[in-house]
Amino acid sequence: MADSVVMGSGSFNSGSRSGSSKTSTSPTENYQLARRRTLQVVVSSLLTECGFESAEKVAVETLTEMMQSYITEVGRCAKATCEHTARSTPTLSDVVVTLVEMGFNVDTLPVYAKRSQRMVITAPPVTNAPVVPKALMAGQKRTHPSYIPGHFPEFPDPHTYIKTPTFREPVSDYQVVREKAASQRRDVERALTRFMAKTGETQSLFKDDISAFPLISAKPSAIPYLSALLPSELELQSLEETDSSEQDDQTDTENNPSHIIQDDQSADKENVVLPPGGVVPTGKANEENMIDNPYLRPVKKPKVRRKK
Amino acid sequence: MLSYKQNPDPSGLHSRRCMNRKKDKGFEICINNINFQRKSVIGYVELTIFPTVMNLNRIKLNSKQCRIYRVRVNDLEAPFIYNDPTLEVCHHESKQRNLNYFSSAYTAAVSAVDPDAGNGELSIKVPSELWKQGDEMKVMKVYIEFSLDQPKGGLHFVVPDVDGSMAERAAHVFSFGNQNSTRFWFPCVDSYSELCTWKLEFTVDASMVAVSCGDLVETVYTHDMRKKTFHYMLPIPTAAPNISLAVGPFEILVDPYMHEVTHFCLPQLLPLLKQTMSYLHEIFEFYEEILTCRYPYSCFKTVFVDEAYVQVSSYASMSIFSTNLLHSGMIIDQTPVTRRCLAQALAQQFFGCFISRMSWSDEWVLKGISGYIYGLYLKKTFGVNEYRHWIKEELDKIVEYELKMGGVLLHPTFSGGKEKDNPTPHLHFSIRHPHTLSWEYYKMFQCKAHLVMRLIENRISMEFMLQVFNKLLSLASTASSQKYQSHMWSQMLVSTSGFLKSISNVSGKDIGPLIKQWVDQSGVVKFFGSFAFNRKRNVLELEIRQDYTSSGTQKYVGPIKVTVQELDGSFNHTLQIEENSLKHDIPCHSKSRRNKKKKIPLMNGEEVDMDLSAMDADSPLLWIRIDPDMSILRKVEFEQADFMWQYQLRFERDVVAQEEAISALEIFPTPASRLALTDILEQDQCFYKVRIQACFCLAKIANSMMSTWTGPPAMKSLFTRMFCCKSCPNIVKTNNFINFQSYFLQKTMPVAMALLRDVQNLCPKEVLNFILDLIKYNDNRKNKFSDNYYRAELIDALTNSLTPAISINNEVRTVDNLNTDVRLILEEITRFLNMEKLLPSYRNTITVSCLRAIRMLQKNGHIPSDPSLFKSYAQYGHFVDVRIAALEAVIDYTRVDRSSSELQWLLDLVQNDPVHYIRHEILSMLAKNPPFTKAADSLLCNEALVDQLWKLMNSGTCHDWRLRCDAVNLYYTLFGLTRPSCLPLPELGLVLNLKEKKAVLNPTIKSEQGPGGPERPGLTVVLAFPTQEEEDIDMDTVHDSQAFIYHHLNMLERPSTPDITLFQLFALIFTGKEPSSVEQAMLSMPGTPMPTLSKESTSSKHGDHHHHHHHHEHKKKKKKHKHKHKHKHKHESKDKDRDSHAFSNSPASGRSIRSPSLSD
Repeated sequence: MADSVVMGSGSFNSGSRSGSSKTSTSPTENYQLARRRTLQVVVSSLLTECGFESAEKVAVETLTEMMQSYITEVGRCAKATCEHTARSTPTLSDVVVTLVEMGFNVDTLPVYAKRSQRMVITAPPVTNAPVVPKALMAGQKRTHPSYIPGHFPEFPDPHTYIKTPTFREPVSDYQVVREKAASQRRDVERALTRFMAKTGETQSLFKDDISAFPLISAKPSAIPYLSALLPSELELQSLEETDSSEQDDQTDTENNPSHIIQDDQSADKENVVLPPGGVVPTGKANEENMIDNPYLRPVKKPKVRRKK
Repeated sequence: MLSYKQNPDPSGLHSRRCMNRKKDKGFEICINNINFQRKSVIGYVELTIFPTVMNLNRIKLNSKQCRIYRVRVNDLEAPFIYNDPTLEVCHHESKQRNLNYFSSAYTAAVSAVDPDAGNGELSIKVPSELWKQGDEMKVMKVYIEFSLDQPKGGLHFVVPDVDGSMAERAAHVFSFGNQNSTRFWFPCVDSYSELCTWKLEFTVDASMVAVSCGDLVETVYTHDMRKKTFHYMLPIPTAAPNISLAVGPFEILVDPYMHEVTHFCLPQLLPLLKQTMSYLHEIFEFYEEILTCRYPYSCFKTVFVDEAYVQVSSYASMSIFSTNLLHSGMIIDQTPVTRRCLAQALAQQFFGCFISRMSWSDEWVLKGISGYIYGLYLKKTFGVNEYRHWIKEELDKIVEYELKMGGVLLHPTFSGGKEKDNPTPHLHFSIRHPHTLSWEYYKMFQCKAHLVMRLIENRISMEFMLQVFNKLLSLASTASSQKYQSHMWSQMLVSTSGFLKSISNVSGKDIGPLIKQWVDQSGVVKFFGSFAFNRKRNVLELEIRQDYTSSGTQKYVGPIKVTVQELDGSFNHTLQIEENSLKHDIPCHSKSRRNKKKKIPLMNGEEVDMDLSAMDADSPLLWIRIDPDMSILRKVEFEQADFMWQYQLRFERDVVAQEEAISALEIFPTPASRLALTDILEQDQCFYKVRIQACFCLAKIANSMMSTWTGPPAMKSLFTRMFCCKSCPNIVKTNNFINFQSYFLQKTMPVAMALLRDVQNLCPKEVLNFILDLIKYNDNRKNKFSDNYYRAELIDALTNSLTPAISINNEVRTVDNLNTDVRLILEEITRFLNMEKLLPSYRNTITVSCLRAIRMLQKNGHIPSDPSLFKSYAQYGHFVDVRIAALEAVIDYTRVDRSSSELQWLLDLVQNDPVHYIRHEILSMLAKNPPFTKAADSLLCNEALVDQLWKLMNSGTCHDWRLRCDAVNLYYTLFGLTRPSCLPLPELGLVLNLKEKKAVLNPTIKSEQGPGGPERPGLTVVLAFPTQEEEDIDMDTVHDSQAFIYHHLNMLERPSTPDITLFQLFALIFTGKEPSSVEQAMLSMPGTPMPTLSKESTSSKHGDHHHHHHHHEHKKKKKKHKHKHKHKHKHESKDKDRDSHAFSNSPASGRSIRSPSLSD
């Protein structure tokens, strides 16, 4: 049944069938062409059987197509039915059910098969059976160890489970890393600013060549202090990162370790002088409710009699 | 709307001064409408007055730019006159252009409205019905309705031009001003010595908060629930100039440590506010502890506003700050700056707001004490090194200023009050009033005041000093809780004599000579010192000379401390500086034979090893310091050998000594100096500011030693060692600014290195590449602090590396002939400036540095000189720092390219920019970097410019005292004191010297009608007058006589004067509407025909008319009226040209509108 599906898909090749040169077709195509040809012979013989003496090519072709479609549909449905019952290979009963579903009277089939004037057509020549490309063998397959019974599946090819380290020296040279990071950032910045400059208004430092050193033009904003005072999102983001990775910083080998230690010591000293603010004593939040500040009090409703 | 009411406190306030015939003790302001759209304010004030004289028939108040609708005294309508001579200092037709003349006229104008002398712009006639009552010393209530429309001074509206409601737009308004400027926003007695209690009411939009002085009693919705009224009560007697107001959609933060302290900031800035305010409680604790006195007010409010006039301004129980002081926790550089500002503001709460001053000449006590305790805070918080460094800095500043500009006088006394007795003739302005002072002078004044306080502390000890402060405060707080009638309130005012008396009571010491030297007298001392060592006698022969003849200096007689570091230790000697003795012999303790192994004891008890090979084998002297404690306001130029300076730098532990040594070493470019500086640079125990200074000195020395310099460029290897990676020394470590000292050093070293020059006088290639690499490898990802200041300084370093381009026959600068190094620099700058648009840095520091760099590139001829870029950055709407940097560049361009169009552009900005600070800065930057000076001729200097500037200071800046003084300063810088040389020679004309009653030919001033002006029959008229009025005229300035003459010219030309319009106007005002309908009245007034006159007004009209003529006949018998007269003349001439409708457009506002029945 599976074959019928394959056959169906081959139908698109029918157009090239007549003039096709054998050399240019692949084995699979050849196989399909052969089947198709057989089908055509079948159609022709059925026509003959019905009393036709000749038929136009187009008509034959159409009938062949219909026949092929029908067979394909039977195959597909049978496969579905079989899979529905959790099997993988369709049985006769599957086909019968399918035919019934397609509105075919199965009972007439044996009679039809045994009719007298039927013609026997030889099976298509299996000259070019489709060649399944051989899986590439990589290395020797492992044989089962003694404790695994022989009926268990074989080991897959070794390349599917054996680790093969591809050893390309990672760039660990500090200088190169920094160099790379720096130039990468610079390139990104330059590209970005160039883009912005190209797409927006610019100012130029030179009168002769306006495109050299383009400066994104200065645009006044309604509330200039906001952007100037509030930290940018990027900064906030990196701040969060540093906060969470503070521990890592201690062991960060990027800088010379001896320096880090030194820095940390001096940092402690510094903190004594300028303690980082914002450390609200714990429990403040609870007190919040008790704060009596006139600005937090609710606004009073106007008095009813409030005459000037 | 804002209404404010000085509350009639049942207890009266007595007048301390007999000059003032009134005493206000209660004040109530009510502002009931603030319109952000129209930028207008409507309100009323009510003040309660206790007359202290019989027959109080006139009350004078201060008021500027307010429109006054009605005045009532005890519910009776009262006529009033509004006359402000400061609006136009010299008569507008006057052709007088010399600054001396202006200054004296300006001083006279300010005096004429000086509340301390009982004067004011607004003169209210007490209705005669109340005269009797006055006799009985009854309370009088003066009720004034007023409005302000688009105020130019006093109140500043910030209304960003975006969509949304006013609250969403962060629109806000706040009061501001230089010294007593409250009169700009409500009528009051605008004096620091007139105390009263306050009740303030502000009705604002429901989305807004009104913050003002005193306790917020309650907040009540209006009936329509769309507005709310904030009721404030300030029971502590307070002077009007200490009253302020801020209204806006503020975010509110109650201080987590002190719940009575509330902070306000503009929307979205709350996180910054939290961070910034997190240490305020420490400042509070510190002051309360040293003063052993509670904070005097029951609450404290801080408000952060945009477009602030000054960074910090203190008012009773609240301070207004610039919003730009707010910072996040990532910012290092701003943090100490902001803390200092907060500390200053708080110090002024005690001395300045709570304790006010008796008179202007006592200002130094307040500024001195607040500055002094602020210094103590600095010492405690930032350390002794920082404190001493600050004192030295302040001392250097005042010394430099006084030597350049002449003395700063802390306590001027004005005998007789005549101009002739000017105590500071060297200045181009008068120091008689705070409003006539140049801003720079006032800053120096404050600086000197706190230094003198420190001198007093040195004399009487800090303990006594603090006791004195405590005494002042406790007396004041006792007084503040008393009723007005108890006559105690004057204890809340400090005077020089009272302060000195306290000192002598507390300490028992006589500080008279000290006060005489530094307070009553101006100038600093200039010492020159040199020495010789007499080996035979083992004596140090020290010679100290003084220069007391140059300007800004004075002679010092008295003790002086000299510290001598010898091999055996450090010894202090006190010498007496006397009239004739220059030489002082100081016996040395150590023998010059020295024990090689012995450690050398230092002043602080430390013993150190020194390499003594550098010193003179015969002398035991390591170094000598004159006046090491800075207990004299002096400049010392001391000569000692280079090795002594080097020892001093290395081993003296006082940062001041180290800094002195560094500046002295600049003239000793030797390898030994280099080594000493490098050692200091490397020593991390050394104070970072000393190390920073060493960087710059090292750069200078390296440049002087260019030919003999060996090794890599100065500081490069040092920087590499300190901040670069061990494995790859050309790459800087990723930023980690946790150690602030090394952060500051890391920032500064590249800037100093960029100053290095090679034999061709170019910045060495190696240094430039080094700086470019620093920029390239800068990596802040792992840093918890922002690196914006660091990057900005790297750009500054690039700027410093620039040298003038080699110009090939003045060709136009193009991209193609750009020098390769400059191309690299320019690329960096372009990238930085562009990135800033996408990711702006804190306070846009990077843009600021980039703009400076671009100007430097232009100036050095690398790129075409062009101001348009800067002008776009100078527009309103950029961050203020950026604008200032851009304006600085434009100003520099103006000078270098002598561009009159840019100068014009700048002056237009001075007149039109919405931000007062920007206007001020333009003028002061122009004065600092003037396009030309009086010494040199310039094409820019022409008559039009003179006229423009004259107009600017004469009338264009009348809304801002500070700006007017800035304009005066600029005028002085450009033209000097006398008539600008670019003006055409005046025509010969006759001038009356009315004092001596004769007409003289005056070559310098007067009657220049201008070349094209109409020929007036000047001579005849002028000559005619003396005969007519010989006896009556008493004018003591030329100014008066001019006004007088012009008046008569006008009279001659236009004999009939249609005064009617004027009278109609008054009729309107005095007919009076119901008090509740003020608003309607105001709205209906402009352009509407006059309503029919009531009987009352008709009579007053006649009265005035009559009076008017009468007036002309008996001219100026009273000096008091001279300004009034002047204005009258002007208006008469104007009136003729206008129709009645036009005139009625300005009811009782601005210009001298007089009430009809009041003038004699």
